[in-house]
Amino acid sequence: MGKMMNRLRKKGVFFTFIAMGMMTIFILLFTSQADVSLQKDNQAVKTRINTINDYVNDLEGRYFESVLRASTYKSILSLVFYINETGAFLEKLNASFQEVLINGTINNVPIDSITKKNITQNNTLTYWSNELSRTANDTLNVNTTIVINNATIFQKKPWEIDSVVSINYTVKSDVAEWTKEVSVATSIGIEGFYDPYYIVNTGSLYTNQIKMSSVEFNKWSISQTREHLRNGTYVHWENSDAPNFLMRFDNKMEKSSCCGIESLVNPNAVSPSDQIESYVDYLFWTHQYNPRCVDLFNINNPDTGGGLWDEFAYFKLDFSHFTLYNITSQDAVLTC
Amino acid sequence: MLDAILGLFILVVGTVLIASSYIKVHESTQVGFLSNDLLSFFSNTKIRNLNNPYAGIGGELWVQGDITDADNSLLQQIGELYAVNKIDIAERFIQNISKDAVPPQFNYEVWMDGTLIYPQNPPVAHVNSKQNTRLLLVSRKLTFGIINKTTSSIWGPYKAEVFVWEK
Repeated sequence: MGKMMNRLRKKGVFFTFIAMGMMTIFILLFTSQADVSLQKDNQAVKTRINTINDYVNDLEGRYFESVLRASTYKSILSLVFYINETGAFLEKLNASFQEVLINGTINNVPIDSITKKNITQNNTLTYWSNELSRTANDTLNVNTTIVINNATIFQKKPWEIDSVVSINYTVKSDVAEWTKEVSVATSIGIEGFYDPYYIVNTGSLYTNQIKMSSVEFNKWSISQTREHLRNGTYVHWENSDAPNFLMRFDNKMEKSSCCGIESLVNPNAVSPSDQIESYVDYLFWTHQYNPRCVDLFNINNPDTGGGLWDEFAYFKLDFSHFTLYNITSQDAVLTC
Repeated sequence: MLDAILGLFILVVGTVLIASSYIKVHESTQVGFLSNDLLSFFSNTKIRNLNNPYAGIGGELWVQGDITDADNSLLQQIGELYAVNKIDIAERFIQNISKDAVPPQFNYEVWMDGTLIYPQNPPVAHVNSKQNTRLLLVSRKLTFGIINKTTSSIWGPYKAEVFVWEK
């Protein structure tokens, strides 16, 4: 009996061994948990890379463009006030624009201190780049380095300004690094800005804001011209000799093949009112018709009572504009 | 007999331990997905694509003039409302757009630039559940936008955060 019990006890040990063996197999099977952990790590890295990649795409696709648009607007606005303050045209618009856009300075002096307006402070590309780097570091724990190489401004359309900047940027994280050079472009409308050409030529006594005329090119008449002059609106004529808006910053009164715009000078706002000039803005202050009165028309006809002199005495136009604005002899006579 | 019971015990305990470890993996994944999904929903959905009588185009906020840009994402709209100091409206906006997006067994918060936007005045139960939860996950994203399209005035960039945890 004692022998039998001993044998059974020895066999019973096998249950324990079998259970432990099975658990060992289970544990070995679940070493795939290490795989799970590895997969989880991979998933975490993948998620992190995707998150930062989204940020990089946002940076390139939206942030740079929005910031450039805002800074371009503020820079142009600031340059107009700068011209108003100094009473002189800019020497080189592009160089001045780049300096204001990137640093908020002109000739190394903060432009806001000259204009006495708080426009470019916290609105330069450098400021926004720093803000972005700081917030990205706080939000995503990435280091963003942005270097702005150069900026240019030009016009392809009469009523819009285009600006382009070349940017080098690096986004560094614990898992990956992005390094790229991109060219960012944007455009803003010119309506609402003051025309620097008026400001300089009248010592700020006569200012005019850019506002596009709503008259279609073949709908002009003497009454439309009156409204145009009264409201100080601007018009773009195809193939005209007019300069574009940007050329008015550095007094380049040349033909802009794509984008020339012009307004009419109100004789009541200049002194003397009676001048031997065509009162089209870029012709008036470049004295292109002075003293050629034989090429000018008084927009007034005493015989018919027509014209504009009842409201705008001494207003004159050259033949080319006389035709463009569709004015007839009913409303005009030769100046001399 | 005792050995057989011991063997069975080892088997049961081992199986329970392994199974419970799997349940833990599942839970963390779900909360993580929720916080990511909620933030993705906010940042990838535009106002123009939102069919909502309060926050969508032609809705209450649109009519009031609090929402003006249909191309704003929901996250940008929250940021813009925060930037113009309309935090109460931002809170109602979030409440409205996320009403059915989070299962009821979870709590969540939306922060903008370090300020709690939703819920602005969390109830005690909400605060306690956040303090006592075993697992709280946060998703973060950078957001910014334009307030005035004419002058191109920018708000941000802000840190947007969504916290999610199980009640």
